[in-house]
Parts: sequence; C-alpha cells; structure tokens
Amino acid sequence: MKKVIEGNHAVSWGAKLARVEVISAYPITPQTQIVERLSEMCADGSLDARYISVESEHSAMAACIGASAAGVRTFTATSSQGLALMHELLHWAALGRHPVVMADVNRALGPGWNIWTDQNDSLSQRDTGWIQFYCETNQEVLDTTILGFKLAEAVDLPVMVVLDAFFLSHTAEPVDIPDQELVDGFLPRREARYKLDVEDPHAFGALVRPDAYMEMRLQQQEAMERAHDAFDEIESEWEALTGRRYGAIEGYRTEGAELLLVTSSTITSTAREVVDARRDAGEAVGLVKVKMFRPFPTERLRRLLSGVSRVAVLDRNISPGHGGIFAEELRSALYDVPPDDRPTLFGYVVGLGGRDVTPTVIGEIIDGTRAAERPEREDLWVGVAP
Amino acid sequence: MAEVGPHGGIPPISVSSTSTRVNRTGSWKYIRPVYQDRVAPCNAGCPVGIDIEGYMNLLREGRDDEAMDLLLRENPMPAVTGRVCDHPCETHCNRRFFDEPVSIHAVERMLGDRILERDLPTPVATQRKERIAVVGSGPAGLACGYHLARLGYRAVVYEAAPEAGGMLRLGIPEYRLPREILDAQIERIRAEGIEIRCGVRVGPDVPWGELARYDAVFVASGAHQGRATGMEGEESDGVRSGLHFLKEVNAGGRPDIGRRVVVVGGGNTAIDCARTARRLGAEVLLLYRRTRAEMPAIDEEILEAEREGIEFEFLAAPNTVAKLNGRLRGVECIRMVLGEPDDSGRRRPVPTEEGQFTVIVDTILTAIGEITDLGFLPPDVHQDRWQIVVDELGATSTPVVFAGGDVTDSERTVAHALGDGKRAALGIDRFLRSAAGEPIPAVDPERYCLGPEGNISMTRWRDDDPLRRNSPVNEVVEFEDMNQDHFQHADRHPDHHLSDARTLAGFDEVNQGLGRDEATEEALRCMNCGVCNQCELCLIFCPDMAVSRSEDGWGFVIDMDYCKGCGVCAAECPRGAMVMTREGL
Amino acid sequence: MSQVMIKDSIPREEHLASGHLACPGCAAPLAMKMALKALGDDTMVVLPACCWSIIAGPWPQSSLKVPLYHTAFETGAAVGSGVKAALEMRGNKETTVMAWAGDGGTFDIGLQALSGAAERNEDIIYCCYDNEAYMNTGIQRSSGTPWGAWTTTSPREHPKSRPKKDILSIMAAHRIPYAATASVAHPVDLMEKMTKAKGIRGTRFMHILAPCPPGWKTESDETIDLARMAVRTRIFPLMEVEDGSRWRFTVEHPGDSVEPYIRRQGRFRHLTDEDISFIQAEVDARWEVLERRVQYGT
Repeated sequence: MKKVIEGNHAVSWGAKLARVEVISAYPITPQTQIVERLSEMCADGSLDARYISVESEHSAMAACIGASAAGVRTFTATSSQGLALMHELLHWAALGRHPVVMADVNRALGPGWNIWTDQNDSLSQRDTGWIQFYCETNQEVLDTTILGFKLAEAVDLPVMVVLDAFFLSHTAEPVDIPDQELVDGFLPRREARYKLDVEDPHAFGALVRPDAYMEMRLQQQEAMERAHDAFDEIESEWEALTGRRYGAIEGYRTEGAELLLVTSSTITSTAREVVDARRDAGEAVGLVKVKMFRPFPTERLRRLLSGVSRVAVLDRNISPGHGGIFAEELRSALYDVPPDDRPTLFGYVVGLGGRDVTPTVIGEIIDGTRAAERPEREDLWVGVAP
Repeated sequence: MAEVGPHGGIPPISVSSTSTRVNRTGSWKYIRPVYQDRVAPCNAGCPVGIDIEGYMNLLREGRDDEAMDLLLRENPMPAVTGRVCDHPCETHCNRRFFDEPVSIHAVERMLGDRILERDLPTPVATQRKERIAVVGSGPAGLACGYHLARLGYRAVVYEAAPEAGGMLRLGIPEYRLPREILDAQIERIRAEGIEIRCGVRVGPDVPWGELARYDAVFVASGAHQGRATGMEGEESDGVRSGLHFLKEVNAGGRPDIGRRVVVVGGGNTAIDCARTARRLGAEVLLLYRRTRAEMPAIDEEILEAEREGIEFEFLAAPNTVAKLNGRLRGVECIRMVLGEPDDSGRRRPVPTEEGQFTVIVDTILTAIGEITDLGFLPPDVHQDRWQIVVDELGATSTPVVFAGGDVTDSERTVAHALGDGKRAALGIDRFLRSAAGEPIPAVDPERYCLGPEGNISMTRWRDDDPLRRNSPVNEVVEFEDMNQDHFQHADRHPDHHLSDARTLAGFDEVNQGLGRDEATEEALRCMNCGVCNQCELCLIFCPDMAVSRSEDGWGFVIDMDYCKGCGVCAAECPRGAMVMTREGL
Repeated sequence: MSQVMIKDSIPREEHLASGHLACPGCAAPLAMKMALKALGDDTMVVLPACCWSIIAGPWPQSSLKVPLYHTAFETGAAVGSGVKAALEMRGNKETTVMAWAGDGGTFDIGLQALSGAAERNEDIIYCCYDNEAYMNTGIQRSSGTPWGAWTTTSPREHPKSRPKKDILSIMAAHRIPYAATASVAHPVDLMEKMTKAKGIRGTRFMHILAPCPPGWKTESDETIDLARMAVRTRIFPLMEVEDGSRWRFTVEHPGDSVEPYIRRQGRFRHLTDEDISFIQAEVDARWEVLERRVQYGT
C-alpha cells in the first residue's frame, strides 16, 4: 500500500507494523508527530500497545528500559535536548543489552533555541552503545524502523533511527507501507532470553567489580561487531520480501571516480543530483552514503575508498575543538590504508542548525576539493561569513 | 541473547546466578546473641517453689492440662493456696511496674479447682522401700508426704486432730477456705499414696520411740499455743486465745462472745478472729500496737475486714482488763508510738503516757502469735527458743529427723509451710539415697533452688523441665531487663465477692475468685519474665534472617554464619531472655 | 490481649536471603523483609540507586528471591511503570511491581519521575525506605534529612536549617488511591498496609522510616527502639491516606517528648535545649494539622 506520508508518520507506521508493545514518550519538536500518531493508534485500537505519557524524556527511556527488561518490544522517539536528557539511560539501555528502538529527529541543540536539523544531538550519543542509522527518505525511515527492531533483538543492542528535522520529519513522500502479515512474518513477537520473571527470578544490573566488568564490555563490543553481518542478513531477508535494500553504506556512481563525496541523511539526496549532473558533464565524481554510523562500517568504507584520489566528507555536525565527526571517523578508518591508496580527505562542516545545503553548496565543495592540493585545515566551514 | 560468553563464563550482562548466602556476613560480628532464660520474679518470690511463669505460659498456649500438671509438680494443694496464700508472687510480679500485678492467686485457684474435677491420682509406679513418718498433717506435713510419695516413698502422717489439715482446718475460717475444698484437696493428696492416721497424737498416743522404725521422721506439728499479751487480768473469763476461739468455731461451735469484742493483734489470726466474731453478731474492734502499714495480715483480708464493719485502733495496746462483778466489762488501753526498728525491720512500738482510753468489751480475743509445744521430742533434736533448728534441707541435729513449718523459725504462712515440706522431702530423699549408696541428683543448691531465695523446685531437682528452658541461669530478671514496649496495658481482673448482705450472714466463701475465662485472661497478662515464650520477635526483627525456628518446633536457632551481632533480637526480646556475649568467649 | 504476640499474623516465608550486605542493625533489609512477606513471591522489585543497591549483593548475587532490576537513581517510578506496562501487555495483571527507593531517590532526584507515575496513576507500589540522608555515599544531606541534623554536607556548625520534606502530603496531593507511612517497629501495621496496597490498583505509595546506625550515630541494637520512638513522639506518625483525602492514623501515638529520641542520636548531639524545644513545637504544630486532616479530610 502506497501512502504519501511525512517522515514522522513513517516512523509511526514502522513502529506500528513492528507491533511494538510499550511506547513511552515525551513531546518535543520536531519529533512530536511520531508519538502523537502512535498514541492515536493505541487509542483507536489499531495498535495493541501501552502508551505511557511520561513526564520527561529521561523517564521515557527509563520506562522503555523497564518494559524491555520485562521482555517486550519497546519504542520511543525524541530530539535534541530530549535526547541529551536521556543520555544517562542510553548507557543503561545499551549495557543492560535492552533492544529498545528509538527514533531521533535530528535537531540542533541550544542555546539559542534552534529546532532545525543538525546531527549533533545523535552524534553526541556516539559512545553510549547504541546502533545508529541515518535515513535519507521516508521509505527508508519506515523500513529502518522495522529493520531496527529485527537487528536490535538479534544482537541485544538498542537501535537509534535518525532522520532529519523537517527535511524528512515534516516532508511528505510516497511510501510503500508493507502488509502487516509480511512484517509479522519478518519480525515475530519478541522472546527475550533474559527477562524479569517471577518463575525464574534473577537480579539484573547489580554491582559488577573490575574482575568482570571488562568481559561484559567486551561482549557488548562483540555484539556490535556481529551487527555488521547481522544487518546484511536482515536486509537480504527484507529485500526478498520488499525488493528494498539500503546497505550499511551505499556507493553511488563510484565507478572510476576520482572524487567521492561522503554524506549521510538528506544531504545525500541533494548530492545525488549534483553527482548526476557532474557525471553528465564527464567528471569522475561519485558518492558514498553512510547509513550505519555505529557500529562504524570501517572495512566497507576502506574497500570503497581505497585508491580514490580525493574524498570530501559533508558533516552536518561539529565536534568542537576537532572537526566534523563523520570526517574524523573516516580519517581514522583510512589510516590503515596503504599510503599509495589512501585518499586525501577534505572535511566540510555544513548545514548546522538547519542551514540549507543546496546543490550550489555541494558544487562548491566538489570544485574546492578538486582545486586544492590538500585541505587547508581539518574542518572546512562552508558558506559561513568569515 | 544469542551468545554464550566464552569470557570465563561471565555473562554478557550483570545477571544473578546465586544468592547472597555465599557471603558469610556472620564474620563481621564481635558480639553474639545467646538465648538464656532467667527466673521470673514470681517464681523467685514463691516460697512453695511453683513454676508460675511456666504454667502461665502453658495456659497462654491453651495447654491447660499441662499447666495443671506443672502446678502439681510443686504444689500439692493449689485449690487451697489459690484461696489462702498471701501470694508474695504478686508482690514480686514485674507487671506491677507496668500496670498491676497478674492476679496469680486467681489463676492458681482456677487451676486448683479444675484439678479437683479431675479423676483421683494414682501413686507413682516406682516404689521405694523406705518409709517415713510425718508428724502433723498441716500444709508442711502434707507437702512433705506428697512429695515423698511422688518420689516413690511411703509416708505415714500422724495427726492429733480428728481430721487432717492442721491449721488449714483448725485456724482458717470457712469463709476463706470452704471445707469441701480442703477435704477434696486432702483426698487427692491421700490418693498419691499417703497414709494419714488421724486422732493420733505423737507423744501420748504414739511414743516417739515407736517412730524409730521409720527410716526418717518429719516433724511438722505446728504452733498451737496462743502467746500471752502480758496485760493485767489476761487470765480473766472473757479473755480468750484467738486461735482457740477459731478452732472452736471452725469445728462447728458457736460460742457466746457477747455483743462487743476486742481483738488484739495484727496478723492473719487476728483478722480471722475479728471477721469470725463479726459473723457471730459482735461489734468488733481490733487493737494493733503499730500502724496499718506494719500489719502482717494479708492486705485483702484487712480490706475485707474493713468492709465488714470491723473497727481498727492503731498504735494501741491493751494494758489492763476492767471487771464488774467478776465479769469482763472493759479494757484499758495505752497509746504507742513507733520507735527504732526492731529485728524484724519494723519500727518498734513504744508505750506513751498520754492518750490512754478504755473500751467497753464482752470478749477479748488475743492473737499476737502462737508458740510450739514440742514436749514429745527427745532432747537431742536441737531447739532454739521453742523452735527446731534445721538446715537448708530441713535436717535437724538428729540424722533421721527433719522438721519444717511453724515448729521451725520459718515464716508462718501456708506457702512457707508447703515449701518447708517440700524442702524436707528433698532432704530426706537425699539422705536416704545417700544412705543407700545411690547417686544424689543435685548437690549444689543452685541446681534445685528456683531463684536466689532458696525456694525448692522439684522440677530442677529432678531435672526434667517440660518447658525446655534455654540454658537457664538462676538469676531473677528485673523489669528494666525487659522491653516493655511489646506489652499493652490490660486491667487486672478483680476477684468476685459475695454480696455484702450475704457476707455477714454466715460462713459462705466471701472471695469467689474469677471465672475460668477471666482467669485465663489473667494468664494472658503474664509477661513470662525472663523466659522465652516463643513470641518470635527475635526472628521477626532479625535484619539478617539469621534466626529460625528449631526443626522440632520449639525454640530458635541462630545461624552464626549470618548473624552480624547487631543485637536487635536481644534488645527487642520482651522478656530479657536473650543476652549478647563477647564473640569468642 | 496484653502481650503483643504478632507471630501468627506474619507469614513465615522469607523472600530475602541472609548474607546481604546491609550494616549490622540496618532497618532497610527489615523493611524489605516485611514488605515482601506481605506481597509474596509474585512480585518484581525495581531498585534505583540507594543503600539497597549494595544490600542486594554484587554480581552474581541477589539477596532477593524475587526478580530485581537495578536501575539509575532517579528512575524507580518510571522503570516500574515500564515493567508493569510490559507485564500487562503479556496478559499478566497480577504480578505486583514494587519500586524500592531511598529518600534521596524519592524526595530528591526521583521525585519528578515519581510525581509523573503518580499523576498517571501507574499500577505500581512505590516504597521509600527513608534513612534521612544519602547514607550509601556517606551520609550527605537529602531533603528527607530532618531539621537540625548533622550530615557530612550539613556540618555541626551549620546543620540542616530546613524541615524534612513532607513527602506523604506531596504524594497524597496527587490523589493516588493509597499512600501510607509505616515503621519497622510496627511489623503488623506495615504488613497490613502492604497487603492493603497490594489489593488496590493504581499508584500506591509507602513511606517507611528506616533508622540507620552509622548515619544516625546510634548503636546497632537501637534500630527498632528508635523507629518506635519516632512513632510515639509523633515525629513519624503512622498514617494512611486514601484517594488523597481520607486521612487516618493507624496506631496510637502517645505523644512522648521528642527529647529522648533526639538525644539518643549522635547526629543531633550539637542541638541545644532550645533547639529541641523548637523541634517539639514543630512536631506539635504538625500533629494538629494532621489531626484536622483526619477529622475533616482534605
């Protein structure tokens, strides 16, 4: 069934089709529509779930953790300050190995108040132990929400589905909404291996001393590593059912490219247009879209980028005092590529606080990258008043 | 979760697989709790040596028959003592600091009366060959015979009077001790295997030498001679020994005592005389040379005498009788003041010159004490001031002769007489076993005494406490040692009494005691001082689940692997039946 | 009956194991022991950071024989809400979910989540065992600390200058179906309240005073006695409030002088006679307020 829906509602549909059992959420722009629609679905009976209207994002995550610990499928959504408030419990969910799925509508942090898109909220949670997916279209948002549950429950790690404020959240696109039966077959009801159970009582989360803490951390890391292959398998299964596949990373017109753009989220769509135009003009320009940020697809990126002359990373985020976060991660990933094959990496900081990243901006980035011998600095701020 | 961690078996998350019992937290402690039962003050205060606390505990648990059996271990005549004992147990009762003492006498009386409803007892199976002669069938003699019988001996009691009971029958008026109660009680004692020969006076009827064929003799012939007041004209007609007066009335006589009677004295005999005279229709004035506070009579008896209209003149003593035409008409009295304390600790009354007064009187009953008549005894039984000298187990200076009750310097109460009888039974048992070359149960008095006052406990002597006390120590528990927060106030049940109209109309029993339910409620007021009554507060309040019930359902076990020595159990024990001791000692 | 023989009204089964790591004489395990005796084994416990995080034992141990979820400091009520929602979604409406938090996790950092859960009338029992300071971290002042008390963050020269937060009134003001105070010195009252709470649907709040020998500077064997004195002095009245409006005292409060209670605790050692008179006056005034509430409702 095709419907023209906004990105936020694509999330709602994804959660509904996943038959999420407990939703706990708190309103924040521009996420609010996700949970509004879910609360309506709970109210009208189209979704059999408990909707808990908590008093804060912190409690939203806490309630999800509690419900997940009791063995059910749980979901929440937030943005920006709300995600920041949850921070403590993001660790708790991940170390407790609770497969919570959360949508984060990327929004800048204040002050001053800014409700527009910016990846700093989700990237600030890089080290909390959550799998992170960045989405380009509303279809991808819906599919990733469903895939997210499947992956989360396969490796017992929480998954964050990230979409851009307004560019996706409030933009209507045609979306193929799969049948419930199809999703049910793909994603059966959650059966937790560990859960609160009066028939088999255990304590969860008790003090762990130094003699065991590292082993538990290592197993978290191993689960992250398994997520690479697990996601491939899950996508294959989904592809067989729907014909759609996204990949942890996607190469677009990379063949013979001398310059590859590296993008995430909706900037990718704009960049595709620019790449098409430049290819039509005969330029050897391509594109790599990074969908999975955690676990970081290091090997895949190395394979795709080795031997390419130049790489331009577009970061709608900044790690103050360092640089764009995708760029820095990529720099680190490419360090082990032999020097002869190692591309020169240009890190561009763009579009913070919702500033438009237009084809013109991307064109300037391509031109600048091609023109320069080496980047003048690690973080190249584009389109800002000097 | 899919993975099984190869990492030393450590799971992927912090999930428990064992209880905290792996932590032997008992190693933290430096002091440890111990269950240690002590002696309840009622028990320590009972000259009979009754395990009062024990039968109260059994009653609380609804084990009434066991309560009666426990009572009978120590007391041959609870239906009697429940009525006439001055119950020092109640003056010792810790509950007096909380609200009012438990009405122990009423509970004992209820049990005693229920015992009388039981089938007659049969003599114990084990019979020893030794025979013991008992002189006198008062409470001391009967108690001695009773306990000897229960120890397997044969006792023959010689009684001068036509019926057994001694002073219980001769001295105590019927309105305090109905004769059917006394008769039934004695019948039961007899049924334990005691022979009582009445109307036989040792000396005139049975020469002392005839008692030599017995293996031991217990002398408990009592004190029956009224002591002279020393007033001028004491020998006059109309001046009588109060005890003789009581004996006459108690035997059914109704002597003419006139309209106005003066009783001299402040003890129970004096009060008995006064109340008896009142029932014969007289107006009665009681003269006592000290004050009300020093009166040795039982307080309730004094109160009842007052209720019955008996007048009291304190700090007064008769000096001279006044006669008219040879007939008693009055008595001149002098006033006393209280001087320095005498040997008994009471302040000595000293005559004064002022305030003399005269009372018109038809009969004077003197009741200032009785003395013994021990003319039948051979001189080798050592006496001191008309009293037989005995050791702590009733033995006299003559090996086979034991004595107790009013013939010794024992306090002259029924309770002390019963205690003395038991004491001598135990002494005789020890003596005869020793003579037969048998092992003696308990040599150390600490082992057979209940409390520091030397009351004899047959249970301790036989070492078969059915209440299974926890490592008992012979130390009385003080009220301060108890946790009174676990008790609630509950009024003491006052005894029921005959209506005023019926009281003076005859010799019906005045004090009607308590009903069975009321008496049982009184038993529930007992705080079981010093003795674990399984209340479980130690278990309930243990923060470490270290206290559990014993497997056999009686008592508790403390798991020292987990007891941290916090002391909450001992602090919360309502009864002071737990102590904290140094770890490792 | 003149003797309190409570053993027959207390279930025998223990849901708490020995070897837990509470200090000697700690009231916190006692409170849990009594609470779980009333609730039984069809119970799950949510435990935010507090002394009990230690008492429950380190991995791989648990001192509880029922499921237990350790969680972050401020999340007791929210995690409890989630657990309950999950159970209901899987068709289990019977299992009792109990959040068990200290005064810090209740009066301070967890109050927002607690208020949220109470306002939503989540079907959980929230128990605060109140030892009147952050004891697990070493006796720091909380808003449950009483006026005048020394803590390591309210030193003797500047003891706490504000009264203890009135958490019962705060919770009653949410109009939850049941809110009550309880004491380890009154096990039957505590268990009756827990049993009553178990039979009610919606948010139930229990506030249990838990004397702390190291934090109060008292001997380990005084725990029960102090808890009892707190009730007798009316410093910690035992009450229950139904639907936020029907207030009731559940035991007798003789109104003993507060002085012996205060003087027995080292944390109050610096208080003058005037200070104690002030505490007495506060307790008396508070008592009048409570009596009016009992009489007229709120």
